[in-house]
Amino acid sequence: MANARNSSGKKPPTIVRYYRFKNRLKEKTLGLGGGTGAVSDEALRRAQEALESMAEDYPDWVNGLVTELANYHGRCVDTPERRHEIFAEIHSIAHDMQGQGGTFGYPLISSFAESLHSFTVPTKNEITDNMIELVKAHIDAMRAVIRGRVSGDGGKIGAELQGSLNEAIERYKNRTTEDVAEQTYDYAFQQTPRE
Amino acid sequence: MEDYDLERLTVLVVEDSLFIRSLIVSSLKLLGVGQVIPKEHGGEAIELLKLISIDPMLAGVQNIDVVFSNWEMRPVDGMMLLRWIRRHKESPDRFVPFVMMTAYSDKDRVAKARDMGVTEFVYKPFTVKALAERMQAIIERPRQFVHTRTYFGPDRRRQQLFFDYEERRELTDKSPGVEIIYG
Repeated sequence: MANARNSSGKKPPTIVRYYRFKNRLKEKTLGLGGGTGAVSDEALRRAQEALESMAEDYPDWVNGLVTELANYHGRCVDTPERRHEIFAEIHSIAHDMQGQGGTFGYPLISSFAESLHSFTVPTKNEITDNMIELVKAHIDAMRAVIRGRVSGDGGKIGAELQGSLNEAIERYKNRTTEDVAEQTYDYAFQQTPRE
Repeated sequence: MEDYDLERLTVLVVEDSLFIRSLIVSSLKLLGVGQVIPKEHGGEAIELLKLISIDPMLAGVQNIDVVFSNWEMRPVDGMMLLRWIRRHKESPDRFVPFVMMTAYSDKDRVAKARDMGVTEFVYKPFTVKALAERMQAIIERPRQFVHTRTYFGPDRRRQQLFFDYEERRELTDKSPGVEIIYG
């Protein structure tokens, strides 16, 4: 302990404590003899392969989440008085999805979820029918990605889906129109790759 | 040195999404971590940590070496868990490395977690390589812990840099009021 004493010989009050411990984790994890002091390439390769194999299941998993979103959308339509509460659920699912898609090779899902997440931020203002339609436009764009297994950036289709959503949100922000969302939804739907 | 042998480590994974949780657990196991304990949210994690404090035999684990936690969870989120670990008297190890996994990367949020004593971040969407790199940083470059009136956690200065602005840290190891604890 390095601690100075003042002229009266009294120990001054401690302002800051530094804790400096032995590196026990390193002692615990270092084997004997040569090596790189890193996680082994072999372990990394195996883990990466496992991730890729899980990625194959991702569209089925995310499809479940999109179905949940669709159910919430339906409840927004049926019970307008509960929209604020339901929007919070949608916001939460969107948050999870935005962190997942990219990991499994579906950055478009992350991107749409990010947009949905920012669009459903809790508000005290009225949640209008147009906003509900925009939620639906997001859901349909996500469905298009899953149905078509549009991985990566999705090339031209991906760009169009993304563009149509962005455009709808911008237009929504700038003016209140009755049919922006519907047009966007139709547009997104037309771009859906057919199987 | 040789490649890390993570077999003796116990890692706590706190994540509410089943799919992501199983992904993190299997990734860490494949990276060689001996014991990975999954929990669904911060509340469950705190229950386990309390039990480790009281009765490690019953908890089935002696100590946790690293925590990987999602931020956004209900009812107890990652920040609340971090706060509990760093500050609560029942916490079994207030110094445990804590990795926050989050889709949030805006500056304010990062600063908030840093000021609560987070050790590392993993940003979602994440890769296996990112998990491995954080494990490596925790093992290879541990930081001293700092305890002041307003902060308890790993030193927020990660590196010795040459600053071109005024040094705001006024105290040195030998200053009055500075106590250094080795262990």
